[in-house]
This record gives sequence, structure tokens and C-alpha cells, in this order.
Amino acid sequence: MTSKIKEFPGVALSSSDFEEKKVLFTEWAPNAQYAWDAGIAIGRYLAELKQGRIIGTRCDRCRRTVVPPRNFCEWCFRPMDEWVYLEDHGVVNTYSVTYVRWDMVRVKEPIIPAVIEIAGASKGMGIMHLLGEVKPDDVKIGMRVKAVWKPPEERSGAITDIQYFKPME
Amino acid sequence: MSLLEKVDKITEAKAWRGDIPITSRYTAGLAGEEFFREIMENARFIGTWCSECDYVYVPPTIYCERCFSKLEEWVEVGDEGFVQSFTTVHVDLDGAPLAEPQILALIQLDGADSVLVHRLGEVELDDLRIGMRVKAVFKPKKQREGSILDIVHFVPTET
Repeated sequence: MTSKIKEFPGVALSSSDFEEKKVLFTEWAPNAQYAWDAGIAIGRYLAELKQGRIIGTRCDRCRRTVVPPRNFCEWCFRPMDEWVYLEDHGVVNTYSVTYVRWDMVRVKEPIIPAVIEIAGASKGMGIMHLLGEVKPDDVKIGMRVKAVWKPPEERSGAITDIQYFKPME
Repeated sequence: MSLLEKVDKITEAKAWRGDIPITSRYTAGLAGEEFFREIMENARFIGTWCSECDYVYVPPTIYCERCFSKLEEWVEVGDEGFVQSFTTVHVDLDGAPLAEPQILALIQLDGADSVLVHRLGEVELDDLRIGMRVKAVFKPKKQREGSILDIVHFVPTET
């Protein structure tokens, strides 16, 4: 369809038209603040991270411990039965190596995001985080890693209270 | 044991706070370009005239909202007009209280059929009335940059 259109209606403007102020325009930046309700499960998860602990929830019927914790078991649709403290180590389930930061800025030192299966949770249950103190070539799936926490006074109740996970051996 | 504990105090609810950096750029458009350049250079208002509807648009549009004809005839209108409607604003765009309430009005300029939104100034709230005559106050030419804010506000012409 569009291949048949030789010229689109309207007036095309380029960045230089704006930079050279060839056209009149208004710039605006809204104050777009938000507060995302963490909910009961993630709320406690973040509060526990501030204390340097990883917590999950358990469904007794499905015999399953999940992390990050949720209120409901998505297998049997019942409310979870209990809170369970987990270890702050685990194994690498999968990982990636990237030279581009989240905001699309190129970086020299690679960033290694990984899914880490947390010890104490059910198999396959893990959290996304970063690997550190390791070269990309040395990362192996199944490798045991341990959380490196920020000092307690710098923790804010965020997933970044863990700086990264580093190899245990 | 259930995990469904009720949060009784709203301050205890855990929320994740952040802000989204959004910047936008809004062009004046074909008609707006002519309109604002006339304000910037000559401190005059111009509008577009629909011959089918005999209707003058200020601020101008390139199409008639009533019959959808393309509008190409430009007419000059006065810098005076009357208040068709008004309201007072007590909070800013983010909801924070304003030190002084602002008065916004729909102003029909002499020779125009549509209305222009702008601020009213040098007038007490109690003296406001619909139909009151007002006149545009322009910024000095050097400070004008082709924006609606090249007009400081409209002030009453009679006391």
C-alpha cells in the first residue's frame, strides 16, 4: 500500500529545522512521577532485601517455593501458605553478555545479566540480577554464585541492595 | 497461615517511586506559524476566514471545523475583544497551589468568530464579568519569540 504513495501529506521537518529555529515550536517536559504499589509480597521482599535477606513464599499444596514472592500460587490459584527465608546464593540458570547499558549507552566493560536460581527455592525459581568479579568467558550455566550486598547503611529496600552475584569458587 | 495481611495504614504500603523523563516538542503548525509570526513581528492578530460559513477563526486553522473547506483567506482582526467566559485557577499544572490565582478567559477578538484562550490581568476577581471589553498587552518586540506568551495578558479597557 504505502509503496504506491509517492508523497505523504503534511510537512516533513528535520532536526536541523528545529535547531536552526526555522519553525515555531514549544518544548515541554511533564512532571511524570509515579508510585507503583509494590503490594504485600513484593513489599516484604524489598523490605527484607534492606535487611540483607532474600525471602520467598511457599505453596504447601504444590510443594513449591517461589522467589520473588507472590501472594497467590499461579499453579493452584490459592493464597500462598508461608514466608520462607532463602539463601543469598544460587546457581546461574542462564546469562547474557552485553556492551550496551539499559539506557542504550555503550560500555567498555561488559555487563552480565543472569537469572540466578536461589538456593532454598524450587528448581527453576530465580531472580534476574548481574554477575560480577568474573570474566564473560568464565561464566558457565550451573555455576554457583553468591550475592554481594551493599553496606547496610546504603541499602534502600531495592533489588540493587544486592550489587551483583559473584562466583563462589 | 495466610499471607493476606491487611494494610491498615496507607503510609505502610510499600510503593516504588520514580519518574519518567518525557520531553515533547509541539510545532505551531501551518496556520500557527503565520499567526505567531504576525504576533512576534507586528503585534497583530490574524485569522483565517471561511467564505462558505462566513466564519473567522482566531487562532487560525487551515480547515473549517464546520464545513471542512480548506481555508486560505487571511484577515486581520483587532487586538481588543470581549470576554466570552472565564475561570479562576488556583493550582499549577502539577497540582501545587499558586501564590495568586490566575484568571483564564475565552476572548472573542473584534472581527473574529471563534475564541482565544488567554490570561486576564490588572483586574479584580469581583470585577470580572462576561461581556467585559479587554485588550491584549504584548511583550516588547525584543522579548517576543513567536509564542502565545508573547502576549502578557489581556486587560480591561474600561474601568
